[in-house]
Amino acid sequence: MTTQALVQVLASGLLMGLIYALIAVGLSLIFGLMDVVNFAHGEFLMLAMYATFGLVLVTQLDPVVLMPLVAALLFVLGAAAYLGVVRFAMRAKANQGMVQIFATFGLAILLQGAAQYLFTPDYRNVQNTWLGGRTLDLGGIFLPWPQIFGAFVSLAAFGGLHLLMSRTDFGRALEATREDQGAVALVGIDRNRVFALGWGLGAALVGLAGAVLAIFYYIHPQVGASFALIAYVTVALGGFGSVGGALVAGIIVGLVEAVTAVILPPALKSIGVYALYLAVVFARPQGLFGRL
Amino acid sequence: MLLEVRGLSTAYQGLLAIQGVSIEVDTGEIVVVAGANGAGKSTLLKSISGMERPRSGEVVFDGARIDGLPGHAITARGIAYVPENKRLFPRLSVSDNLRLGSYLHRKEADREAPLERVFTLFPRLKERLPQRAGTLSGGEQQMLAIGRALMTRPRLLMLDEPSLGLAPLIVAEVMRTVARLRDEGVAILLVEQNARAALQIADHGYVLDGGSVVLQGDSRTLQGDARVVETYLGTLAVDDAPPSRAASGR
Ligand SMILES: Nc1ncnc2c1ncn2[C@@H]1O[C@H](COP(=O)(O)OP(=O)(O)O)[C@@H](O)[C@H]1O
Ligand SMILES: [Mg+2]
Repeated sequence: MTTQALVQVLASGLLMGLIYALIAVGLSLIFGLMDVVNFAHGEFLMLAMYATFGLVLVTQLDPVVLMPLVAALLFVLGAAAYLGVVRFAMRAKANQGMVQIFATFGLAILLQGAAQYLFTPDYRNVQNTWLGGRTLDLGGIFLPWPQIFGAFVSLAAFGGLHLLMSRTDFGRALEATREDQGAVALVGIDRNRVFALGWGLGAALVGLAGAVLAIFYYIHPQVGASFALIAYVTVALGGFGSVGGALVAGIIVGLVEAVTAVILPPALKSIGVYALYLAVVFARPQGLFGRL
Repeated sequence: MLLEVRGLSTAYQGLLAIQGVSIEVDTGEIVVVAGANGAGKSTLLKSISGMERPRSGEVVFDGARIDGLPGHAITARGIAYVPENKRLFPRLSVSDNLRLGSYLHRKEADREAPLERVFTLFPRLKERLPQRAGTLSGGEQQMLAIGRALMTRPRLLMLDEPSLGLAPLIVAEVMRTVARLRDEGVAILLVEQNARAALQIADHGYVLDGGSVVLQGDSRTLQGDARVVETYLGTLAVDDAPPSRAASGR
């Protein structure tokens, strides 16, 4: 392999990896906050892609412009999922972990079924976008603009999240709630409000990812599943609950996937990622940056 | 009356831990609740603070019923509670713990005065601002817990065994601080198993036994009551312990 080809593979992997990190970070954030794995995370992504598609049709604006609106819609969806479903699952007297798993899993099936019914199983794509189909030529290395844009959105989102967590009172309330959700009432914080906002924030982040993916990926009711699988691997690799871990792990997953795709037949491109994941699970079950 | 608890009963899994407890605390007062281990002292504070939901009875604070309200709403009404195990946020810094205390009063200008007051009461906290709360000594953690509670700007401060596990010198310091807070207008409800030191600064006292109030009165009467001394305070006066053995609290 020439140096140029290698750089091409790594650069593409890096860009996709940053997008994977953006898909995964909301999942990790919610887990870190309240030890709940959201099995409807992929469906949130799917709905964000449909929301982008629908908004483009209605407003004739570009997905790049609509992205904040999609994130806001997903924020509402995430908060509603907590207030309408998860909150009640957490009140289970016995087997709370199982109840939570089935509650979010049920939500996933519901959302997928609803999408199937409302949007039909047809594949859709957003057409005539500013970035779709365009590539940047960096001296023989070709990088697709949608992925470049997605990578920058991801970096900006991680930067913003870091500032939010470390500099604001809401960030401190999130940290305190993840430390000891039973103690925040002592300082006058309503943990249900923090949880609802946390779910909203996690969903808004995957909303950003959905708006980006809608530019270059087909949209259909099952589209969330494959990305969700990568997101679970990313979160486990980075350490459940670790925001920084999701960033590093997303990049690793993107790079490993890109390299595997050149070494093995394209259909097997996910194998490298799962092999890496298994290796981490054996060597470091808490993930790279997780605390057990 | 600032706080009136009337006929409060709280049960765990159907078993009553307190039964028909009535107490009163007014502004400018320190009220001590004494009693043996398991008497129901902590349950009383948890029931007032909203951590546990009472089965029956009333809690009236500043003229309004607060029993049944969620804990965060009770804090917002002006009751700060320092539980026995403090419940600090151990991985967060001292500074963040204090800032969280003022979550209800988030304007920077509203934060300064309470923070200055905490630093005046506990200068040691100021030196430890960037340190993680979990790495503080027991005495410092107690100071931080009281400091965090004061940041909520309470009118009533409830302390559950603040002297537990602290060296006598630190206990005396905590008691002096509590007395000072009372003089600054914060009503104090203080729970202590070893109530001798507490009764010295208190105005009124209650003795709980088996979940009910068995004795009450002003603190001087209780201190002079032979039954109280023998049954609930023990015969060895804590004050007689040689102060030279007191650890520095680090
Ligand atoms: N979380 C709990 N679950 C069940 N029983 C409890 C719980 N907390 C306290 N109790 C019981 O309630 C009674 C009163 O306990 P507590 O209020 O902690 O007493 P004190 O603080 O005076 O030592 C005890 O019999 C104790 O075993
Ligand atoms: Mg107790």
